[in-house]
Amino acid sequence: MAPPTGPSHRPRRKPKPTTLSLNGTITTTTSTTTNNRQETPAFPLVAFFWPAKASNTSPWIILPSILLITFLFRWATSLWPYSGHAKPPLHGDFEAQRHWMELTINLPITHWYFHDLEWWGLDYPPLTAYHSWVVGQIGNLFNPDWFALYLSRGTDDIDLKVFMRASVVASEYLVYVPAAILCVRQLGKLHSINSWESAIALTAILLQPATILIDHGHFQYNTVMLGFMLATLASMLAGKLLWSSVFFVATLGFKQMALFYAPAVAAYLAGQCLFPRIDIPRFLGIAVVTLASFAVLFFPLLAGTALDTYRNIPLPADAKPPPLMAFLPENITPQTRYHPYLLQLTQSIHRIFPFARGLFEDKVANIWCTLHSTHIYKLSHLSSTNLSRAALALTLTALTPPCLLLLLKPTKPLLPYALATTAWAFFLCSYQVHEKNVLLPLLPMTLLLATDGGMKPAIRAWTGYANLLACWTMFPLLVRDGLRVPYFILTALWAWLMGLPPCGTSTLTTSAEDGGLSWVGKTIHVATYAGMVGWHVVEMAVAPPEGKPDLWVVANVGLGCAGFGVCYLWCLWRSVEVSGVLYDVGIWKRGVGGEKKKKKTQ
Amino acid sequence: MAEHYPTLLQSALAATALKVLLWPAYRSTDFDVHRNWLAITHSLPLKDWYYEKTSEWTLDYPPFFAYFEWTLSQAAQYADRAMLQVRNLEYHSWQTVHFQRATVIATELVLVYALSLFVQTSPAGSKKQAHASALSVLLSPGLLIIDHIHFQYNGFLYGILILSIVLARKKSGLLASGIVFAALLCLKHIYLYLAPAYFVYLLRAYCLGPRSVFDIKFGNCVKLGLGIATVAGLAFGPFIYYDQMPQVLSRLFPFSRGLCHAYWAPNVWAMYSFSDRVLIYAAPYLKLPVDAEAVNSVTRGLVGDTSFAILPNVSPRTTFILTLAAQIPALAKLFLAPTWDNFVATITLCGYASFLFGWHVHEKAILLVIIPFSLLALKDRRYLGAFRPLAVSGHVSLFPLLFTAMEFPIKVVYTITWLVVFLLAFDRLAPASEKARVFLLDRFSLLYIAVAIPLIAYCSLIHQLVFGAKFEFLPLMFISSYSAVGVVGSWLGFLVVFFTS
Repeated sequence: MAPPTGPSHRPRRKPKPTTLSLNGTITTTTSTTTNNRQETPAFPLVAFFWPAKASNTSPWIILPSILLITFLFRWATSLWPYSGHAKPPLHGDFEAQRHWMELTINLPITHWYFHDLEWWGLDYPPLTAYHSWVVGQIGNLFNPDWFALYLSRGTDDIDLKVFMRASVVASEYLVYVPAAILCVRQLGKLHSINSWESAIALTAILLQPATILIDHGHFQYNTVMLGFMLATLASMLAGKLLWSSVFFVATLGFKQMALFYAPAVAAYLAGQCLFPRIDIPRFLGIAVVTLASFAVLFFPLLAGTALDTYRNIPLPADAKPPPLMAFLPENITPQTRYHPYLLQLTQSIHRIFPFARGLFEDKVANIWCTLHSTHIYKLSHLSSTNLSRAALALTLTALTPPCLLLLLKPTKPLLPYALATTAWAFFLCSYQVHEKNVLLPLLPMTLLLATDGGMKPAIRAWTGYANLLACWTMFPLLVRDGLRVPYFILTALWAWLMGLPPCGTSTLTTSAEDGGLSWVGKTIHVATYAGMVGWHVVEMAVAPPEGKPDLWVVANVGLGCAGFGVCYLWCLWRSVEVSGVLYDVGIWKRGVGGEKKKKKTQ
Repeated sequence: MAEHYPTLLQSALAATALKVLLWPAYRSTDFDVHRNWLAITHSLPLKDWYYEKTSEWTLDYPPFFAYFEWTLSQAAQYADRAMLQVRNLEYHSWQTVHFQRATVIATELVLVYALSLFVQTSPAGSKKQAHASALSVLLSPGLLIIDHIHFQYNGFLYGILILSIVLARKKSGLLASGIVFAALLCLKHIYLYLAPAYFVYLLRAYCLGPRSVFDIKFGNCVKLGLGIATVAGLAFGPFIYYDQMPQVLSRLFPFSRGLCHAYWAPNVWAMYSFSDRVLIYAAPYLKLPVDAEAVNSVTRGLVGDTSFAILPNVSPRTTFILTLAAQIPALAKLFLAPTWDNFVATITLCGYASFLFGWHVHEKAILLVIIPFSLLALKDRRYLGAFRPLAVSGHVSLFPLLFTAMEFPIKVVYTITWLVVFLLAFDRLAPASEKARVFLLDRFSLLYIAVAIPLIAYCSLIHQLVFGAKFEFLPLMFISSYSAVGVVGSWLGFLVVFFTS
């Protein structure tokens, strides 16, 4: 940054009067003795933006500074170990991602989805595969040993770590960060929030501890998928529905877990075509663009198949046709001209959706795992088909209300709430859920900070609650990766910056009339935070009893599940409030509105 | 009283989070140096401290620092006893790393306290400026790089220095200031470089009457003398008792070391060495005698004697005389006008002189200039003009301390962020000067800062791509020479500002 030159001993620009804040970043106190109004930051994060407020600093300075500082925290986290570091035989997610780079740059494209499933077989959608290919090619320029076929398995080279860490940061700054900026800007426009407060919200979103810990600590590329989702949302907020379908296909095409959002996205798009009046051209447009995006997504895979077929490259010797092929009409034989393409498509789908896997993986704070591991109900009594059906039915039940609201009232303010509710429904009730999937509901929920009143105590409290609880449920995973210290530092830092318990009390001391939590909410929050802190103390000081080595983890899962359930209910209630149906059905009277007593949760 | 946000404590907390995250980062041999000192002071009797040489990193700081290490070692035994064994060279269990890193962060609280005192004692009109200066020191990239990655305890030591400077602000604090500075000297003797400023200031403002230099205040002289003698006695007494002073002093002042440190600190001697290197190529044309033996040694010798191929060799005596000569004008001005501002300016100029002309100067010693200067940088725009190139060159010159790929983004991004945020904030806060600016210093600094970007890109990336591992001294030489220009430029600028105001 070049310092200004010339006679600059007076300010070059007259400071504009700052617009009166309505979003909860500033606390105004009136001194009783002098009757002077004094403004103070409502929570520590605001304090760091205080100099920018007083001097009306240009966003061209503020934004780069935010990005540089959030980068520092990411990169400092990535100094720590990653999942599976020096842990033979299978290593961890780091090895999975590295292996995908190894196989995509070395094998013909037709082998990608057929290659050895046992050693971290490629089981993500094509966009991840293409991304691996690009990163792998770049890495190959630095050091071919990193991605040598078969020979590089389980490599723990220190420079490889630097490269892989850098690839995560680069991917994030290319996708997630620009999308987050756009999305926050759109939300700011929608809710008329000044750019200073939007910048604060953006910082809070970018410093979200769970995302940093998983992507830059544990090692994954979730932010690419989440970034495409932010772009989807930003396009919806900007009224560009066709772009939103393109971005959503990219979201799905990077990680199938984005299905958590699909019902809400579909409901919103459908609602936009139905209300206020039926809009057939819009519907056709969305349908065509979506199909075309899927075609583009699979095009490299199919074009590569054409090339490999032309060059007569056989499939790996152990390749078995996926079960899905059995459902095809009998007249399709290996001799049919389009057989190789169908084979690739069905095999990729087979890999991406492995129905044969269990209901949940490891210990995750969702309903099924909680029921099972707390011995309330042993799920092993049920057949896997019944379980799948139960999970499906429960998920559908849980996601219907928000999606129905969004379909009937497809308004922009409702979007983040409905997306969060739907994602919570999936996380709590569906099958094959990872503890890391909690990032999906967290994203729209954290975005609430950039909405109207988002940094007032109530919403800030709930957003923080979900974020801190989510980090806490991932603690056992992070400890296994050797990330205990970054976990404590990043969560405590974020909690402190946002004025949340256990590092701040501003959300608990505000009364409900001043935009704080109701007494029900306060009780829930105090109880949960006390539980989390207490759990850490016990976990650190006391070994679990003989014969129950998992007791602490089970306790973690139980409390986490209950808390996430509360988050689901809160998001659902807020969706109802924001959608305005209560006015329509006459429960609320127009003009009365405002802070209604929160529905009793649990 | 209106608070300034972010407060020092808030900034310290946020910075601490980053510093803890940096625990697994690269650490230099200084880490083992300090671990070894923990072990020596913990496991050996006091009379062996300055004789022990199992590790090549012998104890070469004054006794107070040894006592400091002894204090830390009392806590260290609960973290990991193994680090306290003298034979455990390069021991680095994670408990050891976390413990030693944590002590750096914890002892830095002294700096936070000293800075908050600095803001408190500033006059009401310049509180805002003082607050910004304090934040810039607290969050200094120099301290981050040297203390929290490379590993040293500068935050703690500079905290004591600032404490002593701030105490000197009030008449009633002069005695305490002198004693605190004496204690600082017994912690790390590098601060001897600043001692002339203290000597002159305390002499003029404390020992002599305000109206006449012949009005000697004997009471004050005795108090100050007794205070300093007590501090020195506490530090060196035991070693005098054991009759070890020659050994202690030979450890503290190893004059057998070379003129330039392994890596050239950006000072006059770096420019001198650079000219010598260039002259080697020019010598055949100019028919100059070349010392063949020296041709291959100048940049290589780790801690050996530096010899020059063409230019005359430099003796420690020469550097000493030059350093003193560079300090005398400022000291004279301080003697004539003993104000606190002049005192801080003289400290800064003493730092400059010793950094630019001193014998075997470490690049880390640039903090000796930057930190006192920071306290003055916001006095008015002319000071700021001289500060800017120093802020850039001083921090860029620290980059070669960290050479690992993983730490590269941290040092560069942190420094850039600091420069952007603080230089812009300073620009907004610095009041207009009463006098017109003499120099086109702004133009110079703009050009200078602009050059930094391609230079860093070349040294960190392009050089490696073009030459691979060959000519590895080139990037170092460029950074060193570039930084030397900045430091010398800001020194000249500061001299002009100081002597014309």
